[in-house]
Amino acid sequence: MNGVSVKEADIAVLPQDNAGSEEKRLGFWLTLPAQCLVLFIAVFPILMQLYISMTDWSPLDGIPWYRAYELWIGFINYTDLASDSRFWAAMWRTFLVMIVCVPIQFLLGLGLAVLFVDEFPGKRWFYSTLLIPMMVVPAVAGYMFFLLFQSGGPVNDLLSLFSASPVKIAWLSDPSLALVAVMAADIWQWTPLMFLILLAGMISVPQDQQMAAVLLGASWGRRFFTIVLPRMKTIIIIALAIRTIEIFKIFDTLYIMTGGGPGVATETISVYIYKVTQQDLIWGYVAAIALAILIVLSVISAIAISRMSKGANAR
Amino acid sequence: MVLKSAFSRRKFLSTTTAAGVLAIGTPLYLRPDRARAADGLAEGMVGGPTGFDGAERYQYGPDTPEGRAVEGARSLKASGKAPERIVLGLSDGSIGQITQPFPAGAPSIKDLWEQETGIKLDIIGVPSGQEFTKVMQDISTSGGAFDVYAVEWNRLGDLAETGGIVNLDEYVATHRPEWDDVDRGYVGGAKGVSLLNNYRGSTYGVSLDGDFQTWNHRTDLFSDPKEQKAFADKHGYALAPPKTWKEHDEIAAFFHRPDDGLFGSTDLRNQGWGYTNWYQRYVSMASPNQFLFADDGTSLINSDQGVAATEEYVKSLAHHSPDAISWGWPEQYGNFASGGAAMTCAFSNLPKFLDNAANEGSKVTGKIGSHIPPGRVHDDGMVSRSVLWLNLSASVSSQSAHPETAYLLLQWLGSSRIYSWMTANPGGYFDPFQLSNFADPLVRETYHDYHMDVVRETVRRTVPTINYPGATAFHNALDENLVGALTGSMTSEQAMQNTERSWKRIARRVGEEKLIEAITANKAAWPDLVDPV
Amino acid sequence: MRRSLPFEFLRYAMILLIIAISLVPTLWMLSMAFKPIAEWSASGAALTWWPENPTLDNFRFIFGQSSSELIVSLERTAARPIVASLLAAIVGTLIAMTAGTAAAYGLSRFGKGNNLPLALIQLRLFPPMAVMIPLMIMWSFLGLIDNWFGLAVVYGIVTLPFAFWLMKTFFDDMPREIEDAALVEGCTRLRVFAVITLPMMRPALASSALFVFIMNWSDYLIALLLTTRDWVTIPVYMTSLSSSMTGQLYGAKAALGLIAAIPPVILGIAIQKHLVRGLTFGALKE
Repeated sequence: MNGVSVKEADIAVLPQDNAGSEEKRLGFWLTLPAQCLVLFIAVFPILMQLYISMTDWSPLDGIPWYRAYELWIGFINYTDLASDSRFWAAMWRTFLVMIVCVPIQFLLGLGLAVLFVDEFPGKRWFYSTLLIPMMVVPAVAGYMFFLLFQSGGPVNDLLSLFSASPVKIAWLSDPSLALVAVMAADIWQWTPLMFLILLAGMISVPQDQQMAAVLLGASWGRRFFTIVLPRMKTIIIIALAIRTIEIFKIFDTLYIMTGGGPGVATETISVYIYKVTQQDLIWGYVAAIALAILIVLSVISAIAISRMSKGANAR
Repeated sequence: MVLKSAFSRRKFLSTTTAAGVLAIGTPLYLRPDRARAADGLAEGMVGGPTGFDGAERYQYGPDTPEGRAVEGARSLKASGKAPERIVLGLSDGSIGQITQPFPAGAPSIKDLWEQETGIKLDIIGVPSGQEFTKVMQDISTSGGAFDVYAVEWNRLGDLAETGGIVNLDEYVATHRPEWDDVDRGYVGGAKGVSLLNNYRGSTYGVSLDGDFQTWNHRTDLFSDPKEQKAFADKHGYALAPPKTWKEHDEIAAFFHRPDDGLFGSTDLRNQGWGYTNWYQRYVSMASPNQFLFADDGTSLINSDQGVAATEEYVKSLAHHSPDAISWGWPEQYGNFASGGAAMTCAFSNLPKFLDNAANEGSKVTGKIGSHIPPGRVHDDGMVSRSVLWLNLSASVSSQSAHPETAYLLLQWLGSSRIYSWMTANPGGYFDPFQLSNFADPLVRETYHDYHMDVVRETVRRTVPTINYPGATAFHNALDENLVGALTGSMTSEQAMQNTERSWKRIARRVGEEKLIEAITANKAAWPDLVDPV
Repeated sequence: MRRSLPFEFLRYAMILLIIAISLVPTLWMLSMAFKPIAEWSASGAALTWWPENPTLDNFRFIFGQSSSELIVSLERTAARPIVASLLAAIVGTLIAMTAGTAAAYGLSRFGKGNNLPLALIQLRLFPPMAVMIPLMIMWSFLGLIDNWFGLAVVYGIVTLPFAFWLMKTFFDDMPREIEDAALVEGCTRLRVFAVITLPMMRPALASSALFVFIMNWSDYLIALLLTTRDWVTIPVYMTSLSSSMTGQLYGAKAALGLIAAIPPVILGIAIQKHLVRGLTFGALKE
């Protein structure tokens, strides 16, 4: 998103020798399409958001966006944002989904990877079956989970097997349970991805060291924690990062399942922005939200990247 | 269905192709004699559907709103000022009423318009619930994808303020739609027209719907002697469709048997809809009406009446499905169709869809009754109120290159003859709202006699929802707090306080002067009917 | 490696348990797709796990052959949304993979101190909802609203980071000696890239293409805002499947969901042997 940070100067630095010059040029041409795409999607939206975030512009005002200066209000949108309890509640809720779902997906994925790391009869079949949820379009998953979690639905029907009386929980009408239902849908759909990445990492851990450890009589658990896990560090970070990033933006399945409701009980940051955009129609304010998020994310990702490259250099 | 429509279309084509060719070839002015000779219209008529019994009721002479609309469109076409096609954005489920021929032997509305004017109708389906979003997108991005928008009636004020829709006053004056005709026009005459089509004194929309929320009950349950006896034994009065909210709540509680798959009532409780029930309970708190705003624009909901209505509303959840808070109207219709509830409050089209022999999925065919909304007894009598909510109305986009033609289409569609014919078609959501619709035999057949009279009585007791600028924001604020009260995350008092606070903020943003004017106009449309007890 | 009998028993027990749980929603969709309306049991009716009167009506319905009068009307069949989804997702994937792979290679071999990686991470982090207003205005100005290509470009951009990062870890990981040897023999850089490097990257290319495709194919939000009629995609079309006769047409939605699962599944099977190797993110460098 941060198109401004792409410095062409870095690429155009004059090389010392001819070979170097050709390499630089090639490097420039190879990265050019991606650079252009990023600039294309970043420059106009950021400048426009910057501009209208300083105004009280709404499409209801009947003036086009470029005349928004007529409604100039300075930084009021930003100060409003600081005290917008609904925004912060949505942030917190998104964060909550993140800290519940990511670890569960990770532990399930890791556990499954351990079970699948060596050969056993039926492995291929089981493995393919486990990947199915990822292939289901989130929109239809949303409708199916809506039905699954009805009070007379299959989830309660299954729970009733373990209970003396029929279970009649109204999952989607209860603010706290609705969030649980939404999380369940995310865990169902994306644990397979976690599993796949972690399995890939685990399989690639060289067997020779493990064999040596076996010969030395190390227990399985010891081998796993002292040899396998440390070697998977980078891939674990990547897997966690992917899911964290995607959950931050969680929308599709959730929106179809609950629409952010009941009330605002499952309103995550994307749903909140969607509602402010489509229902309240205060677009100057939406721009302020977008930019605030962008700034925070830029700081976080800059720190993460510098850490990662430091880690890579240290290796 | 496909078979059927293909069949009727073929039949229609064979009988009217000649007329179509002729109509397109006719220069400038309609000639009643030639048109009649060609397609068998009744004496003196210049246009309208043919090919089925009673078609003459929907045909029109030269001096009718429909006749003028068609003539206007043709003369625009002849002078090169009309487009090849008009693009109409419509909610998905409504399209059928325009594109499917009804009854057997008839042309479709679309075909008839295209034949009579030579201007194509291009209909873009919009997922229901997304209408306003799509329109705002088109306006704010200058997309220009539509000539005509169809959105909820409440948004007319908001849309007019964007400048995205055309002020139709000039066209109304020229082409005289006669919406306030005392025999055929809108209920309430000029007042009704002003409520449905006007914003701040000017015409911005043409109503294409009648979403007066109407109550239904299950006649099989209410007339079951066993139930009647058990009920009378318990409550000391006879089991009948409820007249008051107290009776309603008692009857609903009586029938509420979730273990047998029967809920007391499935009027909606979700966000975006639930407050239609709250609203009915609230506005009947005073006689003749408990208003939302005082004349000076201060809100009246943070009051004893507001809190009492909210508390009643929250308590009523006890006789609903446990999932009620997550159910929208599709779930509601599904539930009522499967025999899952004793009562419900829905669009007036519920009996047309669910008490319908063709609907194999409905278990309540022949078992639906209608009643007027429950009310409250005051010193001067009984106040029972329903609510107008959603109600598609069509507007002409400012980006349309041919606004006059687009308006003429709306005048043609929304006038009493064509509209009666269209609303009788079971293929979509457009519901009756004009006097001529309620009296029309075909409409009464589709909507059922028992229902049509109740709807007309309900219309007389219907209050409008908020239709001033900021309507969306006002409703959302109320909505969120009501759901908060339903889920127990706040008390009824808090819900009303919070709503009042948000409303003040919204009012400031909209501009209080504009608001007071709009509130006054809105109030003029409130009913003052008080029934004897 | 030999493992004890109790371990094997435990392994199967746990795998079967997890599979059983994870299959419930999928099987629910499968069974829903073949259920007649009376058994959808969305709202209060008795629950049926398996269709008691299995039917193909749901599939017929979304392709425009309504066998009963039940359903009000269907103005569009699913055929066109399927085409739209395929076009947008495939072209979006091509854009992301081409630009991503090129950039990853360029940066991995020649680029130091470039800020592109950071920009790309930010791009992926950012909720698309938050830039929708400017995007809609921009796309409308460019005439890309309700256009499969406009959608494909957005898809290509939002999934570009994924393609880039996945490929970059692999390029970083690949021993340079192989390329250097070829260069010494007089091949041009481009030839080396095409003949030596890319073929070695087949597993990585295949698996990142799969995931980029799945992400594009899944999208609901972007298509909801950028398409209106001609090019609505499967998820957007799916949300419009409801009628006043029956409420939400869950059976039709499930049938469409089942059809929508076919392309990712086919792609997944096609690249199955690369899948695990392709996802190591090159992160296990010695």
